[in-house]
Amino acid sequence: MTSRIKPDLCLISFALVGSTLVILILLALLNITATQLSDIPFLLQVAQDSRVTDSILLTFTAGLNAVIILVLLGTPLAYVLARTHSRFNNIIESIIDIPLVLPHTVAGIMIYLLFMQRGLIGAPLKDVGFIFEDAYPGIVAAMLFVALPFYVDTAREGFEKVPLHLENVARTLGATRFRAFSLVVFPLSIRHILNGCILAWGRAISEFAAVIMIAYYPMVISTLIYYRFTTGGIKESTAIAFLMILASFSVFVLLRLVTRYVGRYDDRV
Amino acid sequence: MIEFDNVSLRLSAFALHEVSLTIMAGDYYFIMGPSGAGKTILLEALAGLHIPDEGRILLKGEDITGIPPEMRKIGLVYQDYSLFPHMTVEKNIGFGLRMQGLHHPERKKRVDTLMKKLGVGHLAQRAPLTLSGGEMQRVAIARALAIEPEILLLDEPLSALDPIMRDFFVDELRELHREQGLTIVQVTHERHEALNLGTRMALIRDGRLEQEGAIDDVFVRPRTRTAAEFMGFENIIPGIVSDAGGPDCRFDTGTVSFSCSTKAIKGENGAVCIRADDISVREKTDPGTDRDNTYRGKIVAVNPSGPMVRIDVDIGLNIVMVMSRKTFESRHLKKGSEIVLTVSPDDIYIISTGTPDTTCS
Repeated sequence: MTSRIKPDLCLISFALVGSTLVILILLALLNITATQLSDIPFLLQVAQDSRVTDSILLTFTAGLNAVIILVLLGTPLAYVLARTHSRFNNIIESIIDIPLVLPHTVAGIMIYLLFMQRGLIGAPLKDVGFIFEDAYPGIVAAMLFVALPFYVDTAREGFEKVPLHLENVARTLGATRFRAFSLVVFPLSIRHILNGCILAWGRAISEFAAVIMIAYYPMVISTLIYYRFTTGGIKESTAIAFLMILASFSVFVLLRLVTRYVGRYDDRV
Repeated sequence: MIEFDNVSLRLSAFALHEVSLTIMAGDYYFIMGPSGAGKTILLEALAGLHIPDEGRILLKGEDITGIPPEMRKIGLVYQDYSLFPHMTVEKNIGFGLRMQGLHHPERKKRVDTLMKKLGVGHLAQRAPLTLSGGEMQRVAIARALAIEPEILLLDEPLSALDPIMRDFFVDELRELHREQGLTIVQVTHERHEALNLGTRMALIRDGRLEQEGAIDDVFVRPRTRTAAEFMGFENIIPGIVSDAGGPDCRFDTGTVSFSCSTKAIKGENGAVCIRADDISVREKTDPGTDRDNTYRGKIVAVNPSGPMVRIDVDIGLNIVMVMSRKTFESRHLKKGSEIVLTVSPDDIYIISTGTPDTTCS
């Protein structure tokens, strides 16, 4: 009797159903690529426009700035949430996730009310020369707000995955809690931390509504695309969008390559 | 000397209740109990990883209840060894010395000595997750010993090893205890580990201390039914002391009575505890002694287990005994066979479970 390997119909049908999502993204990419490659001189002209390159750079830098602040403030918060079991944890986790469920314009209004020159945070900071309205700090504040859950949730998951026993042993060996965190827990969570950074950065640079509420100027790339769409038409805005796709894609591929080789300790056999 | 003075501790769904015990310097102390009894929590409390809600933990008479783990200098080895996966074996072992601020040359010297002693020198640059269970255990012990602790806590260190390695490591741990003069506190639920290595032990159940004492004492004279079950008494039969006087007494189970060489009080409720291997089959030609308890019964179940056979015999109540497979076969015994059992009064132990109605001197 010959045995035949039966195809896994469940897995195949799942793959077929799921592939529609991948196809959707690919179609969108192919569509915009085909449009742009049909007029390369115009694309090059847009690419050489300093307002476009400056805007991309501004967006990436502001996103990076937001991520740095998130790492500094969000890492301790994520660790506390991972290592404590207070009844308040659920409430705090829900508060952290609020930016995920809010319409972006609502998030924008909340940011504006808080950081405007008469706002709860904006007013005192204005006195020391820190202005958010139509300024770089406003962009960073809006990006920080919307990207926050992506970083904190991912970092928390990473810390939770580090067995408590490792930390306990480190402490019995003479490490304070901070040293146990910095020498054992943090290095073992580095992949989650980096993934959290990538997700948060991606979320930050893609923000539009929350940013324009507080800082229409200087224009981040989303604002510039919208502005060119309303003033210059679809052709100009599509070219900028295509350049942004190329830039973002390159950065993301690079970051994913880096994280692929960082923090892998379980497969060194 | 370590003392737990009425230590109570609540951790979400789990709690330790008023645990008091004493561990003497140089003891090989075992904490035993069923899974979920609170053994590891007790060990972690001693390491300083949990602060008791009530009570105190004393070390050499000094209250260390609020002292953090990094200040206690107590080594800890978990069941899963908990080696730092992002550090080499050498760095794992040197971690504690690094925390002490020891400079690299001195640190390396001490790590090398320890690795050589524990036989893991050839693994210095290996990642922990590439090691076998036995190697991991040696590295974990070397890492704990590196800080030169006076007390070493072992949380079921042998449970992840195969039986051959386990026997080997029992010898190694005995040697370690003898050589280093350490106080070792080990959590286990394996009786034979405690019997092989231990000097004293505590039996924990549902976060409460059931019994504490010298290993032999707890093993031979358990004070509660739970302790008796955990110490491996196969026959624990409830009843009442029907007659008492002098060094002996008579214990009545309702259907069968036993003569026991235990001081008891008439009318006392309790249970007789008899180990299966203390019961023997009386030969027809063996007249026995007048003191012996002798019962006629019928074999109702036979359960071979390797070279031994476990037999359930109905003597008016179900009694479990063991004999070698060779003896079992040579006597042509089988389920339904009638046999005569005998058990010496010296091998019957009574645990008290209630207050007597009357007392008898």
